[in-house]
Amino acid sequence: MTFSSIVGQEDAKLALILNAIDPRCGGVLFVGEKGSGKSTLARSFAELTGEGRPFVELPLNATEDAVLGDADLENTLITGTEFRRPGLLERAAGGTLYIDDVNLLLPEIIALVSKGQTDCILMATMNPEEGALSSHFVDRFGMCVPVEALKEAPKRVAVMRQAMEPVRSCLSGSDDGLADSREKIESARKRLGRVAVPADVLDYLVRRCMENLVSGHRADIRLFYAARAYAVYLGTETVTEAHVDAVLPLVLAHRRRVFQEPEARQDLSNREAPPDGKNGKDSRDAGNGSETQQESKEQSSRLVRDELYGVPRESAAAEEVFGVGEDFKIRRLTFRKDRMNRTMSGRRTKTGSRGKRGRHVKSILRDNNDIAVDATIRAAAPFQKLRGRKGMLIIRDEDLRYKQREKRMGHLIVFVVDGSGSMGVSRRMIETKGAVQSLLMDCYQKREMVAMIVFRKDRAETVLPPTASVETASKRLREIPVGGKTPLAAGLLETFNLIRRVRIKSEETRFLVVVITDGRANHSLSGVPVREEIKKMTEMLRSLPATDYVVVDTEDKTKIIRTDFAREISSALEGDYYRIDDLKADYLTAVIRKKTMSM
Amino acid sequence: MIFPFTAIVGQDEMKTALILNVIDPAVGGLLIMGEKGTAKSTAVRALAELLPETEAVKGCPFNCDPDGRVLCTDCRERLQTEGCLDRERRRMRVVELPLGITEDRLVGTLDIEHALQKGEKRFEPGILADANRNFLYVDEVNLLEDHIVDLLLDSAAMGVNTVEREGVSFTHPAGFILVGTMNPEEGDLRPQLLDRFGLCVQVLSIMDKSARVEILKRKAAFDAEPRTFVESRRKEQAELVERIVAAKTRLKTVALPDDVLEKIVGVTAALNLDGHRADIVMMKGARALAAFRGKEKIEHSDIADAARLALNHRMKRLPFEETGRGREKLQSLLAEFSA
Repeated sequence: MTFSSIVGQEDAKLALILNAIDPRCGGVLFVGEKGSGKSTLARSFAELTGEGRPFVELPLNATEDAVLGDADLENTLITGTEFRRPGLLERAAGGTLYIDDVNLLLPEIIALVSKGQTDCILMATMNPEEGALSSHFVDRFGMCVPVEALKEAPKRVAVMRQAMEPVRSCLSGSDDGLADSREKIESARKRLGRVAVPADVLDYLVRRCMENLVSGHRADIRLFYAARAYAVYLGTETVTEAHVDAVLPLVLAHRRRVFQEPEARQDLSNREAPPDGKNGKDSRDAGNGSETQQESKEQSSRLVRDELYGVPRESAAAEEVFGVGEDFKIRRLTFRKDRMNRTMSGRRTKTGSRGKRGRHVKSILRDNNDIAVDATIRAAAPFQKLRGRKGMLIIRDEDLRYKQREKRMGHLIVFVVDGSGSMGVSRRMIETKGAVQSLLMDCYQKREMVAMIVFRKDRAETVLPPTASVETASKRLREIPVGGKTPLAAGLLETFNLIRRVRIKSEETRFLVVVITDGRANHSLSGVPVREEIKKMTEMLRSLPATDYVVVDTEDKTKIIRTDFAREISSALEGDYYRIDDLKADYLTAVIRKKTMSM
Repeated sequence: MIFPFTAIVGQDEMKTALILNVIDPAVGGLLIMGEKGTAKSTAVRALAELLPETEAVKGCPFNCDPDGRVLCTDCRERLQTEGCLDRERRRMRVVELPLGITEDRLVGTLDIEHALQKGEKRFEPGILADANRNFLYVDEVNLLEDHIVDLLLDSAAMGVNTVEREGVSFTHPAGFILVGTMNPEEGDLRPQLLDRFGLCVQVLSIMDKSARVEILKRKAAFDAEPRTFVESRRKEQAELVERIVAAKTRLKTVALPDDVLEKIVGVTAALNLDGHRADIVMMKGARALAAFRGKEKIEHSDIADAARLALNHRMKRLPFEETGRGREKLQSLLAEFSA
């Protein structure tokens, strides 16, 4: 599909055109949901820029050496000195580096791109449902455009028609629309140097950035170039306040501070006005720039901002309550601060990978029994002449390089819940189920799993085997019988066995065990005294690697007879201890979130 | 010997969905949800076996289409230096993606042996290369590791695998019919992955006694005398191939009038589905169905049947709603649109 045949998406197209006119606009990040057409848009940029400006794609499989460049094997062998092959960043110099699904890239690779001091611009797409990007990296993009699938039926029909057209070769040159856009861009580029930015407009520009509480000075600079490119695209040679306002949403969509008051946003949407009517077709939909359009634009820009930084779409003030089933309700939790922290530190817990699985990030010298043959060969290449190679390469110990792999590990949260006949058991169940659901609802990004063990009567049962499926959880948790004695030891044993089983399958998993009990254990498994038995169990559990514990004590502390046994268990497990007599699903979820964040 | 496709009892939705993907690979693959032992893998293998040979560049490990839009780095160079590409005929294959696969094996990497012995860099093709213009079959796709899924989708989206790793840069076409199976009990698929499957069917064990007896009989007959059994189905098999081949040719001529497209948008809009993929898949599915049914025009029944296949997994439902409820909603909606 070509640039001119893309239906709608005027903001996105304008952003591309401005970047084609002046690379100092700094590239575009397209943010949108699946199937919204963001990749099609971003890729179409290659056609706009024409010759002499490379368009280099950085695929998700890229390793560090590919990004930064490495030794060219053949030439190094011939010359006997290290011969470098340019990396993706260098190849993109003077042009564009394109990254699809940038938020799925390994943090190590993002860091390389972010720090890379090359004069290429970044084009990228992301689906916010897949995880957030650090605000630091997002700031690297000159512009940001929310891409939404078209809603109106006629436009959707047009998109379908487009999809059915045979793919045109880019070289056929039969695309009038594209040629037209290219010509306009070319002529605009030539006039770029002649454009004047009056002092009062410059003043206005800076003021607008300050009003919007952007951090740093990058926004001012990007806004300056964008307004200039826009003015020249419209055929004028003086930048006006209207030009600044027109491109403002593109430049600020991803930069406004997240904790901004709604009033400030409102103000922005009022000021935003398309340039004067006589610019006709070229101005952004001036004809039908109705109020609803403005509104939806403002809305979607807020949405981008929130989703980029991982703030969920429901505004934090209005926690939504879903009615689920008849027996319990569930909250979509929005712990904003926690989410921000998570954004800064990457979307999941990282770990050096012990096995030979996981993504190969880069090559290192430290021996870890996992040889990176490619790097080893490159390291040996310059010496082959010296070592007198005839056929086979001569590899020595000092050439050996090893793979550093990274694997994202998941968390398994195991709820161990007291289902005995003690006070408030049904409430306890309902709130625990609520927490399970909340965690799972929220787990698409983090890919956590949840399991639930209930102990009652004379045994413990894994009522919910480890799952990431909300559906399975709700099915399994619908009816859990309660009542009977408190075989706490059985619950702990079942936990131990479950974790051991899971560890065999995926050794990278970290575990968080949440024991919810009033501590009134009164049933022994083996016949030895209850407390002694539990002590043994806690010792076993403590020996498990990569496992943390939280004990939630639900004992009524106003009663005269208290056991405080839950506290003892928690210290035996070296876990966190929480005492509550009023267990709530969202409280529980908050406790777990806090814990997994620090794990 | 492979069990003949036409001898598979029941599972009509799955069989149709597979055939539609063969008629128009742009339909975008198939996700099969259901229990073990419901002929999922048999059906895919049997269909591949049935299909006529296609042309490929001779000796190309990436199964490049000599008339294709995208060629691998090697074929592109060869075309430039030699001016033409030799051809050979190949059968369609089912390439399996094992769950524990490494990144290297999936996307391809440096050919280590060649580098050590000859001191030259060469690209060693991965599974994505094998899968080009074939079926890529992923059993229990919901258990695939996340980073493998990401890489898979990355190349599936463009039909091209771009490799930049371990000292090699290589590009080759990677257009495949992605067939995934999953047992929903074992965890959900990420919505992003779900959406990438064009069609989705649910298979259940057949509960009709006589049909089950028939399955047993045919299986026993096939096991005892595979050659004779395959021979006995020759006519049905040949007829199906002919229908598929005819449908492939007819595909381009099936008209897409506005009222058909509007009806499709009407359905997806009424269901409040996001994104354009649902529209496009439904339209391509309906067109392939019409072609398969020997029609020049898309009729309501084609749209309705395509909707059932294309929207199964795209219906919005609350996390606790069962999948079945969406189907009822779709059913009544389609009835409305037929008027």
